[in-house]
Amino acid sequence: MSVASNKLAASPTLKPHKSADIFSKLVKLSPRFLLALLILPVIGGLISVLLPAFGYAPVLEHTTLGLHGFTMLMQTPGLTHMVMLSVGTGLISTLLAFIITLMILAAFFNSPWLNRIQRLLSPILVIPHAAAAIAVGFLIAPSGMISRLVSPWFSGWELAPNGMFPHDSFGISIILGLTLKELPFLLLMALGVLAQPELGKKLRQQHKVALNLGYCPMTAFFKVILPSLYPLLRLPILAVLAYASASVEMPLILGPNTPPTLAVAIMHWFNDVDLNLRIKASAGALLQLVLSGGLLALWLGGEKTIKALFSDLLTNGEREYGGVYWQKITTVLTVFAISFILLSLIGLIMWSVAGFWRFPAALPEQLTLLHFKSALMQMQSPLFNTLAIGLVTTLFAIIITLLCLESEQLSAKPLSRFTSLIIYVPLLVPSIAFLFGLVWLQQLVNNQAAFFNVVFTHLLFVLPYVFLSLASSYRRLDPRFAHVAASLGATPCKVFLHVKLPQLFAPILIAAALGLAISFGQYLPTLLAGGGRIATITTEAVTLANGASRRTSAVYAIMQMALPLIGFILAWVLPKYFFKSAHR
Amino acid sequence: MQSSLEIKNCELYRQHEQLLSLNEQVKGGEILTIMGPSGSGKSSLLNWLTGTLPNGFNASGEVWLNGENINTLPAHLRHIGVLYQDALLFSHLSVSGNIAFAMPKGNKKQRLEKIEHALEQVGLKGMASRHPDNLSGGQQARVALLRMLLSEPKAILLDEPFSKLDTQLRVDTRELVFSQIREHKLPAIMVTHDHSDAEAANGKLITLNLAK
Repeated sequence: MSVASNKLAASPTLKPHKSADIFSKLVKLSPRFLLALLILPVIGGLISVLLPAFGYAPVLEHTTLGLHGFTMLMQTPGLTHMVMLSVGTGLISTLLAFIITLMILAAFFNSPWLNRIQRLLSPILVIPHAAAAIAVGFLIAPSGMISRLVSPWFSGWELAPNGMFPHDSFGISIILGLTLKELPFLLLMALGVLAQPELGKKLRQQHKVALNLGYCPMTAFFKVILPSLYPLLRLPILAVLAYASASVEMPLILGPNTPPTLAVAIMHWFNDVDLNLRIKASAGALLQLVLSGGLLALWLGGEKTIKALFSDLLTNGEREYGGVYWQKITTVLTVFAISFILLSLIGLIMWSVAGFWRFPAALPEQLTLLHFKSALMQMQSPLFNTLAIGLVTTLFAIIITLLCLESEQLSAKPLSRFTSLIIYVPLLVPSIAFLFGLVWLQQLVNNQAAFFNVVFTHLLFVLPYVFLSLASSYRRLDPRFAHVAASLGATPCKVFLHVKLPQLFAPILIAAALGLAISFGQYLPTLLAGGGRIATITTEAVTLANGASRRTSAVYAIMQMALPLIGFILAWVLPKYFFKSAHR
Repeated sequence: MQSSLEIKNCELYRQHEQLLSLNEQVKGGEILTIMGPSGSGKSSLLNWLTGTLPNGFNASGEVWLNGENINTLPAHLRHIGVLYQDALLFSHLSVSGNIAFAMPKGNKKQRLEKIEHALEQVGLKGMASRHPDNLSGGQQARVALLRMLLSEPKAILLDEPFSKLDTQLRVDTRELVFSQIREHKLPAIMVTHDHSDAEAANGKLITLNLAK
């Protein structure tokens, strides 16, 4: 493709440089490797759950296909409640996060507040789900931050009341936790779309045109911007919906226990001492798959219905829908959301350094670093594991991503739409559905290499985020730099290492920090793939959250948040000292 | 009462540097032309008039439309139509959808008839259900013009609206826009680089200088 290689190919006496050949071959194979890496484990895992669900589990001496797994499942007491809980919390939290995101975007579209909200909420993104659940749990507990703040002057409580939060059987705590966690994600995804240079500019100009035509800012957003913005948000929303309906960490920490959500119940069945329950668990995993798939289909169907119902509304000329009131409501909602998030974080920090803290005091009476000291002593092994797994996984993910993106440029063809969709697969298929099967396959192949298995499983979840994060920066590289370098005689390998990578130093660090954050926060993959042998900060945090001291789990939750934060700080600082000229 | 657009003692600043100062009145059917090099504040002036001045710019002065001070009105209540360089048609709506969007509320059938009639008048008969991305530059410019006119504005601003059209198209579209302005007797302000635009407008010409 480059001038240099053409020249070399034309002259018969010169052989092509060997390292360039290996490099190009490697690069050419990467997209297929990426696909295999993402599809095979998921499909393998699903199949390995499919068979036991229908009764085929030679390990347990069941070799007849049948439906007794499903019969056992149907006879579970409270199954309907479990299903309703899973579906309800998933759908409601996604809807809430989506609607509030839209309202914030509409109300603050051209205002500087949007930037401020973005900067405030960005760090929240990297908080793992488990830490967020712990923080929210502290907020709404009977002796948590909210009741302390309103007692005793408002509520008249001198002693902590008997509360139903968290662990309420309606799943309201789960909904709160999920909404507060997913709202920043959706908002920042939307802002990312609007930050794309051409699209963003076009949309802002069209908003201005609508204003000139007499539409109030919020209506202008809904009638003009949303139709163009929504298709680009669809996949992240579906990912949120799929996760919310099948998540394990949130309901484990915030949800009811009798009965829990379906995903949590499945996890308990798989881990039960009675191995026969595995058949029931596999059937349950299939049910979860159907439920999450059904929710996705419901959302897509709802999308089409709304489009059909409201298409007339777009052009009916109605300009005012009480915009002023909606603006006020949105401001109130935003303040509430941000305060909840900030309050839960503050509560977390205070619990971690709290000595004696009696209800209803709003501040602890004693501050002590004892909890941190004792936790840090016990934390060494999990901390080491967390860092090691994160670094290895992220390194792999970055290398594969870079090679794939390079193959795009070397072959001058963009990655197929198929590949772009497959990137989302680990995010859309409920992990509880395929993880157990995947782990079973891993045990078949090699049950000693726990570390490798964990890294491999983490890779499935880290790759999509690293890829999505690096792709836009890579594709925006000016191709003329590569052309100039090639005309000066540089092989593709040299161009890649000496021209492209230095230009991408900052984006690579950000993608790495993101990958690390994702890996640090994984719960189920670590627990299952490691066979319970590998403890990370997150697995410890979840265990502690449901048992022992509030103070210790607060310390672990803070550790969970601190680690990714360090990664991002490094990603922000290092480019200022290395490869400075490449960073504008 | 005759319609008029008045700019009273406008002083426009970017950061702390003064860009321009203006004191003008434009009567209905007249076109005020403003020319000047890039960076002299022409587009910012139009932004100020519509109430969409971005951050980093400050202005003092008043805008009076048909005898009313509209300074305190937000952008969407000013009823000032704008034509930009790019047609900026909404790609999620058809041609008739774009125009219907701009029209006031009313009987659906009547609106459609009005749109059909307007399209015919500018030579776009039968194109109501076409998608805006499939139209040529000149056709898009005409649809954008219809969209603005059918929103029944009280004044019109033109931000170099013909600069992306080739010569012959430019002359035709310009004639169309100006004749509509004169027919509806709307006060108009046009910002342009092109001297022939200024001549065709046949109104007062103001040239801005770059701030030192």
